[in-house]
Amino acid sequence: MKNKIKVYRAMQDLTQEDLARAIGVTRQTILAIEKGKYVPSLDLAFRISRHFKVNIEEVFTYEEGVRTVDID
Amino acid sequence: MKKNIFYLMIGVVALVLLAIFGYSVEKFTPVLFMIAFVIGVILLYVAYRRVDDFIEDERSARITEKAAMRTLQVFWVCFCAFSIMAVMNLLYMPRFSREFWLNRENDIVPPELMSLKIIGYIQLALLCLMIFLYVGFRIYYARKYGDWETDEE
Repeated sequence: MKNKIKVYRAMQDLTQEDLARAIGVTRQTILAIEKGKYVPSLDLAFRISRHFKVNIEEVFTYEEGVRTVDID
Repeated sequence: MKKNIFYLMIGVVALVLLAIFGYSVEKFTPVLFMIAFVIGVILLYVAYRRVDDFIEDERSARITEKAAMRTLQVFWVCFCAFSIMAVMNLLYMPRFSREFWLNRENDIVPPELMSLKIIGYIQLALLCLMIFLYVGFRIYYARKYGDWETDEE
């Protein structure tokens, strides 16, 4: 799962801490998602994209056949 | 309640429990320590529920869940192996030794039983193993889910 959180954050001039506080998670979680270490739940993915006022597909892209760390 | 107050409370409860443990050993009243330990844990749990500046999001919940599950998976094998050994020991099993069959007409001395003291020590060791396993798995999954990632911001 790829994401453009960093890009959207930069566009809206938000720090990881700002975004984390706005959606009720830790800064470490935002960092882990941005780095692809953690795949967020659908609920969190929606909250993030709603915060940026865009559709979920614009922030998150599913890559076929790419195994993520969240699976095992 | 702030989380620092909670951490302070853990320290105070640990100290009080240590004092009660000392008293229980001196007066040989193990039940007192058992009751105190349970009350201490309940007290800390109630306090934990009142802490309002802990942010537990889905990632930290997942780390906890994974670490707990893996700990259980490893621990039950160790605990089961120990329990089977202890039960076999109590039942004088296995009776497959050559001495047993050669001397079964006579009064044979049963194999030496594992003392309760040893069983207690092993249980304590297993408890320590469980704590170490949990901490180890927690560190492993925290790292896997990016807890110590550096940030270029």
